[in-house]
Amino acid sequence: MTKVGIVGVGHARFGKRSDATIRELAHEAFVPALEDAGITARDLDASVIAIAGEEFAGQGAPAAVVQDYIGLDGKPTFRVEAACATGSAGIRTGWSLIRSELAQVVLVLGVETMTHLSSARATELMARAGDTKWEYPFGITFPGFYALMATAHMNQFGTTREQLSMVSVKNHKYGAMNPYAHLQKVITLEEAMKSVIISYPLNLYDCCLISDGAAAVILANEERSKQMNDTPIWIEGLGAASDAMLISERPTLTGLTGSRLAAEQAYKMAGITARDVDVAEVHDCFTIAEIMAYEDLGFCEKGEGGKFIEEGQSYIGGRTPVNIDGGLKSKGHPLGATGVSMAVEITKQLRGEAGDRQVSGAEIGLSHNVGETGQFAFVHIYVR
Amino acid sequence: MKFGYTSWLPQTELVDSFVEQLKNGKLMGTKCKRCGLRYLPPRAHCKCGAVEMEWFEAERQGKLLSYTMVTFAPESMSKYSPYIVAVAELEGGLRLLAQLTGVSPSSLKVGMPIQVSSHQVSEERIVFKFKPI
Repeated sequence: MTKVGIVGVGHARFGKRSDATIRELAHEAFVPALEDAGITARDLDASVIAIAGEEFAGQGAPAAVVQDYIGLDGKPTFRVEAACATGSAGIRTGWSLIRSELAQVVLVLGVETMTHLSSARATELMARAGDTKWEYPFGITFPGFYALMATAHMNQFGTTREQLSMVSVKNHKYGAMNPYAHLQKVITLEEAMKSVIISYPLNLYDCCLISDGAAAVILANEERSKQMNDTPIWIEGLGAASDAMLISERPTLTGLTGSRLAAEQAYKMAGITARDVDVAEVHDCFTIAEIMAYEDLGFCEKGEGGKFIEEGQSYIGGRTPVNIDGGLKSKGHPLGATGVSMAVEITKQLRGEAGDRQVSGAEIGLSHNVGETGQFAFVHIYVR
Repeated sequence: MKFGYTSWLPQTELVDSFVEQLKNGKLMGTKCKRCGLRYLPPRAHCKCGAVEMEWFEAERQGKLLSYTMVTFAPESMSKYSPYIVAVAELEGGLRLLAQLTGVSPSSLKVGMPIQVSSHQVSEERIVFKFKPI
């Protein structure tokens, strides 16, 4: 069966983009992806559009507008959705289209606009992604769910307030070096620890940003990949899993079962272990989520995630550099764009094109993208 | 009577029945007649695919597994903010999420014993909540 390669990547600037709606943002990511692949829109067989929310997009059936604006009339298209993991669901779908031979060259484009909504409204919409029958009626929020996990993790493993903030400091450090990041600002540990509480124990600097943005990758089968690109980045492992809807129905609050299952599948498929990963993008929607990801993905033992960041193991030069583009925390988290943006960053790292943020000699990369509070989990392994 | 501090979906017959019992101080779950799996809050259908469920009364004592104090509430909950939301494990092993009242934030502790009780939010709304024992 054919391998599937990434042959072109493009990224729009993440941030408060009141200058653009989904169509312009999509275009901003699409054009550089085409140029990178050295092809035109005519060479694409199909597109997969990753958009999480219609009220966020401000447009019903938003994929139709996007495919029209970027000039793909007549070619098959559809939207995928898996909450905050929408982008990775898109890549998994694009990969499947090629592997099934329904298409040879596929665009996966993730885009979201969120900043046009007030914080209270955005919090409301995201709270409705909790179970509307048995969780939402208690006023539990998205930060609230992760705060429950943080309290449990801190209680069980002795994870500290400082360790949570250290994740934020790292991601801001690298975000400040990423021209596409929403917040390009270095922060101190003291600033991170003293910011306003959102949902105890999580404060403002523990939470990812509400952002607008888009990212695009072009996938191709083995033959076309080699024709188009000197250095195709092969997607050699994919894992996906889910979890119980109600947080109270899950056997653990200190990790995401879906992440663990998805990682096992992806490592097995690629024939590697966690130790082989040179650079990783993980789902740091909240600082505790990055600490749990270190553990669920096997970068360290269960309960050692706090120590992992404290020892600097997720910085460049550490055991496994993580979120070297700023992560959701500093780069931003425009829901549908996030998983695609992860693939863009890993592709650049494996090609050696990450500039000041380059992880020297990186050959194997990983992306980990979680939807909701673990109900969707995707892990992809990329190999140069 | 509606369930929850807030809601935005129509209430189903299952929730109506649950609320009727909650008004009498009873916390009811459902049990699958085929595989025996128990659900709290209740479900009308089992994950095993069975459609025959029966009601059972759940234990109301348990211990706190985790908690958070929500200071940035969703639009629909802002009038209640700040509030504590917790997950507790009840005797017998079932777990439940609810708000916790009657305790100062500084004395909150994982493992503390709690009890589930019904709480009339307004004339039209009822909910269950945790209280320290």
